[in-house]
Amino acid sequence: MHGINIIIYLCIVMLHALNSSKLLTVVKTRLMKITVSINLGGYSFNIDEDAYAELKHYLKNLELHFAGEESSSEILSDIETRMAELFRIKITSYKQVINIEDVRQAISVLGTPEDISDKEGPSARDKFASPGYHRMYRDTDNRVIGGVCSGMAAYWNIDPVIIRVIFVALTLAGGMGVLIYLILYIAIPEAKTTAQKIEMKGNPVNIHNIKDSVKKEFDTVRKNMKF
Amino acid sequence: MDLENTKAQMRKGILEYCILSVLSRNSCYASDIIKELKEAQVIVVEGTLYPLLTRQKNAGLLSYRWEESQQGPPRKYYELTTDGRTYLADLDKSWKELVDSVNLIRTR
Repeated sequence: MHGINIIIYLCIVMLHALNSSKLLTVVKTRLMKITVSINLGGYSFNIDEDAYAELKHYLKNLELHFAGEESSSEILSDIETRMAELFRIKITSYKQVINIEDVRQAISVLGTPEDISDKEGPSARDKFASPGYHRMYRDTDNRVIGGVCSGMAAYWNIDPVIIRVIFVALTLAGGMGVLIYLILYIAIPEAKTTAQKIEMKGNPVNIHNIKDSVKKEFDTVRKNMKF
Repeated sequence: MDLENTKAQMRKGILEYCILSVLSRNSCYASDIIKELKEAQVIVVEGTLYPLLTRQKNAGLLSYRWEESQQGPPRKYYELTTDGRTYLADLDKSWKELVDSVNLIRTR
């Protein structure tokens, strides 16, 4: 048994070493992924799941950007058609699936709503603001266990460490902390959507905030994905 | 003062004029217009063009027909209408006046 442990340990160490070296990145990009089948401008494409998410988010943003316009559906259709054109160039017999790099390239060619300088100012955006809710949610993005402390801290705009210290103190002094934590965990909902995450911090939910929030998330994920 | 913003505003102002000018010489596709603008150092993302083209079409300055394409989906082939040509002539005049005014002020 002892020998097997050593082998397992060595494997783990090797994987860690490979992980931090460039070797495994080549292997990683070839691993199997789920793809989504989309209809873009009347053409069918297979697209990686993560690429699809980014594309969907981009098109949604565009839709919101043009929402006040008379011919918004025509404009969006033109843009989607152009995107399909750009994607078709990418597809070869060796490459049958649109990946996230392709999506990002197409977005840089077509432009994000910020790049598209065809409107006056923020007047169109503020149409979509909803009254600022301030609700307590569990912040699972910043959680240690269940996001209870992070969520409460976000609501009051204080450092989560303060709340965590209180809970630990309560736990040490008779165990109440655990019980209270569990009750709060059940009672407080998880902030799943972007709108909820914004409400958790008490900012009014409008297009500006949602876009900024999602963009921040994407940037974080992107940063973490750099090997 | 935001220099980039001011420059963007200036560019935004001439974009419609440029689109009509390009189409006055040849009817073409949106991607051709973008190519010509790029060659003339007018850098815009393609997304800026589509809403402008649609607005100009809705205003009767442009018309389009669908052209089949081997490389993919059918594309809109734009051309200037007679109203568009009149409009462009007006803009030509305006542009000349603007340039003269600015030159006067700059070189005084």
